Amino acid sequence: MPDAPILELEKVSMAFEGKQVLRNVSLILHHNETYGITGPSGCGKSTLLRIVNDLLSPTSGSVRFQEKDVREWNPQELRRRVVMVPQEAKMFPGTVRANLVWGLKVHGMTTEDEQLKAILREVQLWPIDLDGNAENLSGGQKQRVAIARALLLKPNVLLLDEPTSALDTDSALAVEKTINSLLSDHQMGVLIVTHNKEQAERFTSRVLELENLSEAS
Amino acid sequence: MQLDLFALFQIPEQYTVMLQRYAAAMILLAVLIIVTKWQGIGIGHKLIVGTIRGTIQIILMALILVYIFALSDLIVIFGVLTFMGVFAGHTTRSNLERIPGVMRATLPGILVGALSVMAVVVVLEIIDWRSGPGEFIIPMGGMLIGNCMGLTSLVIDRMWSNAQKQRPLLETALALGATPKQATELTIRESIRSGLLPNLNRYASLGIVSIPGLMSGMIIGGVNPLEAAIYQVIIFIMIFLSAMIAALITSRLFLREMFNERAQLTVPPPEP
Ligand SMILES: Nc1ncnc2c1ncn2[C@@H]1O[C@H](COP(=O)(O)OP(=O)(O)OP(=O)(O)O)[C@@H](O)[C@H]1O
Ligand SMILES: [Mg+2]
Repeated sequence: MPDAPILELEKVSMAFEGKQVLRNVSLILHHNETYGITGPSGCGKSTLLRIVNDLLSPTSGSVRFQEKDVREWNPQELRRRVVMVPQEAKMFPGTVRANLVWGLKVHGMTTEDEQLKAILREVQLWPIDLDGNAENLSGGQKQRVAIARALLLKPNVLLLDEPTSALDTDSALAVEKTINSLLSDHQMGVLIVTHNKEQAERFTSRVLELENLSEAS
Repeated sequence: MQLDLFALFQIPEQYTVMLQRYAAAMILLAVLIIVTKWQGIGIGHKLIVGTIRGTIQIILMALILVYIFALSDLIVIFGVLTFMGVFAGHTTRSNLERIPGVMRATLPGILVGALSVMAVVVVLEIIDWRSGPGEFIIPMGGMLIGNCMGLTSLVIDRMWSNAQKQRPLLETALALGATPKQATELTIRESIRSGLLPNLNRYASLGIVSIPGLMSGMIIGGVNPLEAAIYQVIIFIMIFLSAMIAALITSRLFLREMFNERAQLTVPPPEP
């Protein structure tokens, strides 16, 4: 199979009520690739991920996933394959297990506890009480549940918005390692927003640096 | 009563007493408004407008009620109920004016919820309405419509404010590929539950704490107390059923106002 891009952004621009946030952003993501997105606060990094996930439609430009415009995909199907872990990783009311299988459940899929255990081990969150209240987890634990929850969907593209901001370096490295191994296992591509320069350098193959348009103009 | 020429130029005594009572109630209203102001609840002007409008409406209604109760044509009676339902839908819109598309969601819910239950009651003759169709069907229908109105506007208010306040949670759900319905399921369930709570309380304390007006009226009107009591239980079940139907329809329809066809949230962030 020729290595067709898994995700293509072409001249994506975004404005909120006349306020320009993104201008002509283009990027190409391939399988097994980790692409970093950096830039100052408020420059539109989260907005860009939302556009890729089709939670927002850009004011102009296009996003193609597997060579098909995202607008031609069924939104739920697209978001199962292009999963986003939002910046504020929220837990659904209920247990840790309920949170982990939440994504699978909405797509009518199930899983065994063994698989949950395996994925939790990979994000360095095992052992944990699967029947415990997810709301009682620490910020860093919640982030890892959110990542595990996304990985269980076996996405083609994983969109991570500052996924390790609440983790210590060791846990962050472990999460990176997990994602790296999944990259080759699943023919996955990763777009990761990070503030952490070191993380961008060691973890990503390319970095897109966004600038703050409102300040520039 | 004797004929007294002077009486024509005076306000009859029964009305002066009534106006005094109304004035006394206005003092209570003033206290209420002061309390809401003080507590920052911010419904003061709604209370004032509601009082003026409500007084006029109910006086007009009292005057025509005699005729409405005398109605015997089922089609006309259901026409009156439909009018009441439309008015209820309009009311939900004006009480939730910051939210767009309210009436598009509540009106079908209220009409289907209240009228379908009322139609079943009439067709199956669950209540003995034949002795006075207007007298039975209109007040009962009104009760159902009122409860549907209350629950649907609560559901919408909750759905909207949750979408504003718990945006990240909603976004988390959508980003995992949840449909708008799946993403809001919990909110809808909780708002229906809490919206039914006052009535569940009334239901549980029925006859001991809450002595419903309809039952009292029937007993005063000479209906067998046992029959009046049974009616009251039936009415509660009708209320729950119709309010539930209305809430489910309204919540489903309101999803279309909150999300677009790409399942993107269109609710704006809360005003600062
Ligand atoms: N729904 C929205 N409506 C209006 N403006 C928005 C909306 N979402 C984001 N913005 C604006 O777009 C700009 C970019 O926001 P965004 O969250 O993408 O920034 P960011 O780069 O992720 O910042 P941070 O690093 O702090 O997370 C901000 O100025 C924000 O106020
Ligand atoms: Mg952000």
